[in-house]
Amino acid sequence: MDLGRAGRLRVTVEGPQPVVVEWDGIMRAGADAVDRHVALSVRPLPDTVASRAAGQRSYEAVVDGWNFLVSVESADRAELRERVTRAAAEAGLHVHITIRAQIPGRVVRLWVKTGDAVEAGQRLLAVDAMKMENEVRAPRGGVVGALPVGIGQTVELGDDLVTLE
Amino acid sequence: MGTSRSDGAASRQWTVGLRGTNGVFAQRHLDGAAALRAPSVTGSASPSLRRVLIANRGEIALRIIRACRDANIESVAVYSDADGTARHVRAADHALHIGPAPAAESYLASDRIIEAALRCGADAIHPGYGFLSERADFAAACEAAGLVFIGPSPKTLAQLGDKIAARRAAVSADVPIVPGTFEPLGTDTAEAMAEVAAEAERIGWPLLVKAAAGGGGRGMRRVDDPKGLRPAIAAATREAAAAFGDGAVYLERLVEGGRHVEVQLLGDYQGAVVALGERDCSVQRRHQKLVEEAPAPGLSTEQRRMVHTLAVRIAAMVGLRNAATAEFLLTPNGDFYFLEVNARLQVEHGVTELVTGLDLVREQLDIAAGSPLSPATLAAAARAASPTHHAIEVRISAEQPLTDFAPAPGRITRWREPGGPGVRVDAGVEEGTVVTPEYDPLLAKLLVVAPDRGAALARLRRALGEFEIGGIQTTLPFHRWLVDQTDFVAGDLRTDLVALNWDPEPLWREAARRAADAVARIAADEALAPGGARKGASPARRTEGTAAWHEAARQEAVDRWT
Repeated sequence: MDLGRAGRLRVTVEGPQPVVVEWDGIMRAGADAVDRHVALSVRPLPDTVASRAAGQRSYEAVVDGWNFLVSVESADRAELRERVTRAAAEAGLHVHITIRAQIPGRVVRLWVKTGDAVEAGQRLLAVDAMKMENEVRAPRGGVVGALPVGIGQTVELGDDLVTLE
Repeated sequence: MGTSRSDGAASRQWTVGLRGTNGVFAQRHLDGAAALRAPSVTGSASPSLRRVLIANRGEIALRIIRACRDANIESVAVYSDADGTARHVRAADHALHIGPAPAAESYLASDRIIEAALRCGADAIHPGYGFLSERADFAAACEAAGLVFIGPSPKTLAQLGDKIAARRAAVSADVPIVPGTFEPLGTDTAEAMAEVAAEAERIGWPLLVKAAAGGGGRGMRRVDDPKGLRPAIAAATREAAAAFGDGAVYLERLVEGGRHVEVQLLGDYQGAVVALGERDCSVQRRHQKLVEEAPAPGLSTEQRRMVHTLAVRIAAMVGLRNAATAEFLLTPNGDFYFLEVNARLQVEHGVTELVTGLDLVREQLDIAAGSPLSPATLAAAARAASPTHHAIEVRISAEQPLTDFAPAPGRITRWREPGGPGVRVDAGVEEGTVVTPEYDPLLAKLLVVAPDRGAALARLRRALGEFEIGGIQTTLPFHRWLVDQTDFVAGDLRTDLVALNWDPEPLWREAARRAADAVARIAADEALAPGGARKGASPARRTEGTAAWHEAARQEAVDRWT
């Protein structure tokens, strides 16, 4: 039985290796029988200006004690974005990317400043959390744009750290 | 009162309570427990403390404050900049700020804590566990300031803090220890190194290099063959010097497939010491305990009595008073070897409380006030070898089990504790708490108790399913995995159980897929709802059959969270 159509969705579960699932958006009765051995809860996270502009919604899902950050967007829109990014890369253009804090903590080192050219893999800054220093490296080459954090500053999960142009 | 030399194989009618010092033991009859009470000391009125400062934070501070309230003793919390609105601060009768967030300038700043205690007119300090709890110099400073230190004497702390000295004490109390050395190793000369190598051959491989001042796995190295010896000693020495300010190390045989069994001890100022049963803490990861239970599964009454007796002998040898725990290695052959004494309240004291019915912190307070061991304590000691309940504790920490239990601080956005029959949660956090990177990642202890181990496991499984924590990653997935492991369920515990069996990647991946599926459905539901509202979608439209109730509740929970 078809209960409604929401359009194709792309669901991304953040993690060391993100899990990406495409869903056809068709509600089928009985398709999601609940396994009583699984503990599951889902909490919508507040929209941000950026997520609203991108047409994405974020959720925290907890499954058997595992906490996940999950984002959802229209699959059509995601594919369009990918085509644009690919086309821009082929044309030699670089779209800027923002690196966000993967762990809350305190910024203890800054190896770069605005305007620095960096190579892929180069160290940008370090965040200290529970006595462990976590280095943040450049995912690709570029020029350091916005750098909204300073040494000693406390950052929360998801805070902007560096923008690469 | 009977008098006999302890021989470690006490006959059935003897309990393992001992009194006396200097190695002269007098054992008591089971039914003669009351005779142990010292006739002197304080007369008829029971002494009591008036105001106690708790030099700790988190769940243990709250735990101690609760015991103070039960005993009608005023509690004084101390807090750093990071903890101004913490539960322990709000729960206490008084609270004093003692410094900035780093522990060295607050919870470890003994001068500031003693000054705070004097300023607020406290008559005693409870150190909890960790921080200053086993510092002989802190205990001595308390006494010098006229404050009661709720714990063993400075002399006992100094002796037990040095593991080499503790091993010597065990040997003089005729308690077996793991084969190893008794002197700090010297490696500065070729002759000294040759001597160490000869010792290592005598002990046998594999072996452990351990820090004399060590704890928690720091300053410890495994060595499998002669050529690994020198680098391991160098590394352990460096680590111990950095962590404890004392680089002395010794050698000990590594027993593989062993179990970690420890005995809860209580002693009073009159010299009486009793064992209140044992705990199994074999489920560990890199020498960090994850799960503890009481009693240790699968031991015979004779084995229990044996290990209790060994523990009491060591305690009596070092003049132990107040609470402590003697740790033993139980080999696959069934032999007990003494490891060390933790001269403080343990994180896992609660499982012993659930089995014995005692409030160990209350007993600590009474002992510190000068009372002899209570009748309830003596009765529990008499029953310790034949427990009638089983309790299990799991530690809920802010750690990511997927990436080798890396610290996972953050803000707790949801905190729903389990409840119901036989469930106890000792937590130091709540919804809205920011778990800072400054301190230990332990958030809460989930404890269950039932008449037997099987029933306790069922309760643990249920309680773990009820526990909901949002905003940060915790060790819940590990515990949910563990309760279904064949070896764990069978009570077949070994210290390498986790290292041999824990493989989180497939579990994480499966859970991630379920998360993606659940979120997709909810997002689609929102998109289909009139006006694309983020809440209020009708669950009835989405499912049918028995799962509808689950689904409705799930949706309701989602709505509440929004």
